[in-house]
Amino acid sequence: MRFSFTEDQRLLAEAVREVLGKSCPPESVRAAGDGSARPGPAWRALADIGLLGAHVAEQHGGLGLTPLDTVLAYEETGWSAVPGPLVETAVVGPLSVPSGRLASIADGTLVVSARPADTPYLPDADLADVIVAGSTAVPKEDVTLTAHGSVDATRRLFTDGLTATADAPAAFDRAAVATAAQLLGLGRRLRDETVGYAGQRRQFGTVIGSFQAVKHQLADVAIGLEFAAPLVHRAAYSLAHEAPSASRDVSAAKNAAGRAAHRAARTALQVHGAIGYTGELDLQLWLNRVFALRAAWGGDGFHRARLRADLLERTPLPRLP
Amino acid sequence: MDLTFSPRREAFRAEVRGWLAANAPGPLPSMDTAEGFDRHRDWERALAAARLSAVSWPEEHGGRGADLIDWLIFEEEYWAAGAPGRVSQNGIFLLAPTLMAYGTDGQKARHLPRMARADDVWAQAWSEPEAGSDLAALRATATPDGDGWRLNGQKTWSSRAVYADWCFGLFRTDPESERHRGLTYFMLPLDSAGVTVRPIAQLDGEHGFAEIFFDDVRVPADGVLGGVGQGWKVAMATTSSERGLTLRSPGRFMATADRLLELARGSGDQTLRDAAVQAWTDSEAYRLHTFAAAARLAEGAQLGAGSSLMKVFWSELDLRMHELALELLGPRAPASGPWLDGFLFALAGPIYAGTNEIQRNIIAERVLGLPR
Repeated sequence: MRFSFTEDQRLLAEAVREVLGKSCPPESVRAAGDGSARPGPAWRALADIGLLGAHVAEQHGGLGLTPLDTVLAYEETGWSAVPGPLVETAVVGPLSVPSGRLASIADGTLVVSARPADTPYLPDADLADVIVAGSTAVPKEDVTLTAHGSVDATRRLFTDGLTATADAPAAFDRAAVATAAQLLGLGRRLRDETVGYAGQRRQFGTVIGSFQAVKHQLADVAIGLEFAAPLVHRAAYSLAHEAPSASRDVSAAKNAAGRAAHRAARTALQVHGAIGYTGELDLQLWLNRVFALRAAWGGDGFHRARLRADLLERTPLPRLP
Repeated sequence: MDLTFSPRREAFRAEVRGWLAANAPGPLPSMDTAEGFDRHRDWERALAAARLSAVSWPEEHGGRGADLIDWLIFEEEYWAAGAPGRVSQNGIFLLAPTLMAYGTDGQKARHLPRMARADDVWAQAWSEPEAGSDLAALRATATPDGDGWRLNGQKTWSSRAVYADWCFGLFRTDPESERHRGLTYFMLPLDSAGVTVRPIAQLDGEHGFAEIFFDDVRVPADGVLGGVGQGWKVAMATTSSERGLTLRSPGRFMATADRLLELARGSGDQTLRDAAVQAWTDSEAYRLHTFAAAARLAEGAQLGAGSSLMKVFWSELDLRMHELALELLGPRAPASGPWLDGFLFALAGPIYAGTNEIQRNIIAERVLGLPR
């Protein structure tokens, strides 16, 4: 029993944090809402350090890593709110596109948009070369895309008119865990930005972060994130080890991370007050990403149903391993 | 990351499970009654005879030198077996870690083996009528008397002090001091001359609480734990372990969550079923978080203020699970025995060991770095 990460796993996350610190500042996230044709500079940086090819087999130019190896790195991609279909390309892509094209995922030249079979919307399909619906992969030029409004301007949504085949289970669950990790990172970003703001903004002659009404809300944000993280890490472990409880663990992780990030978002907005409700402040980038990702790769209702089925409708599997 | 248990750990789990299956008594009368207290003390003695009363202690003091993971395994099995609450918990889980860190060899040899066997059951003497959440406002005094001390003042909310043998708590040894300074940590027998213990009826009808009056109580020099004037630092070591791992291990909440799922399986109320599933995953989160904390401790990190995150989480989870169980029981709830007793006990969780409001202040100031 050792519930912790290896040096390599931590180093990958640190490397992602470092390159995104340079290549993915808030202004670059914001610029992704302007409708460019290809992903921004962060994409190149993530290809260079190997995250895009992390789940591509070594024989195809990738690193052949497991979800456990990259879960901390995906938290960092959430922290920086990386624009573009990263989970769809780097997590779903290697399990869905023909093997001849995997090297292009690893080198950052092939962009994939994907959706679960029972979900209508493709994120960032305008940036993609390949569309995956369930387990069906189609070149974008063969698909008629229709744009739809999206809560997150930096993550546009499209419908494809395809009849999707059933999800490859591993692809869905891996995407759900990577998305959960991003939600954790986003929640931490919102927490830290808000702690910083509350330590500077003065009202009634003192900083608002000294008021208990503010402190206690932020303490609850910290608690939510603190206890969501081990569920996300455990789900990544279950996927890496193909544990019988993997789908249950993934659903627990996605819902916990979604709730914790949502609480962080609500509190961040409340503590910032009216300035937080503006498009001008960068806060909106992280808020809207949380609202978008909470519904991605299974919303709460989907994952609750899976948890109910596993825990109430048959003899539950043991908690560990 | 490795979430499997080694064969040695599995063997330990099997031994604990087997012993409990053969030896754990059915429900005992409340430990807050005279009869129940004695029955719980007998149970502690049976545990001690199997060297299971304090598995994480060194062998020389009656334990097994178990590491944190083994202790967590013990706790999982203990609560899954439905074994009785631990009447020795104040001593074994709260005082003992402090005693091992700050006590002299003589103090350890004198107190720990008797504590492990429940020959001495310990009560806490922290709160005072004017010092609750604001513990540093305490007024009870200890004044030098030859080579010892004289204690005066009043302590309150002292669980089972009516039946316990010894108590531990903070007294002001420097009359000029304020707040956290000038305090000293004392240990003394409750049958000392000048000690009066008065029971207080509780919400649940029992007399588990007590107030303790000290009237010129003579305590020898070796009743001081840690240095004179060092009491706050010594006491905080205890409260940190209380809030975090050692008072409320995940095993207790996992067992409650498993029983809650049993109730939910028989219910057609989708809202309650979902809430029960959520509580179960929260108990899993607490378990995994504890394993992660154990790994961090093994790497040399400290729990520190992070234990406040845990205290809020487990106390609110425990209460929520019992509230849910009562809702699932519906009209049967007011006479539901263990669930009702558990609910009444869980109500105290957000209050004892530092109220959750104080914990949230600690989280905001010491974990997040917000200004005081």
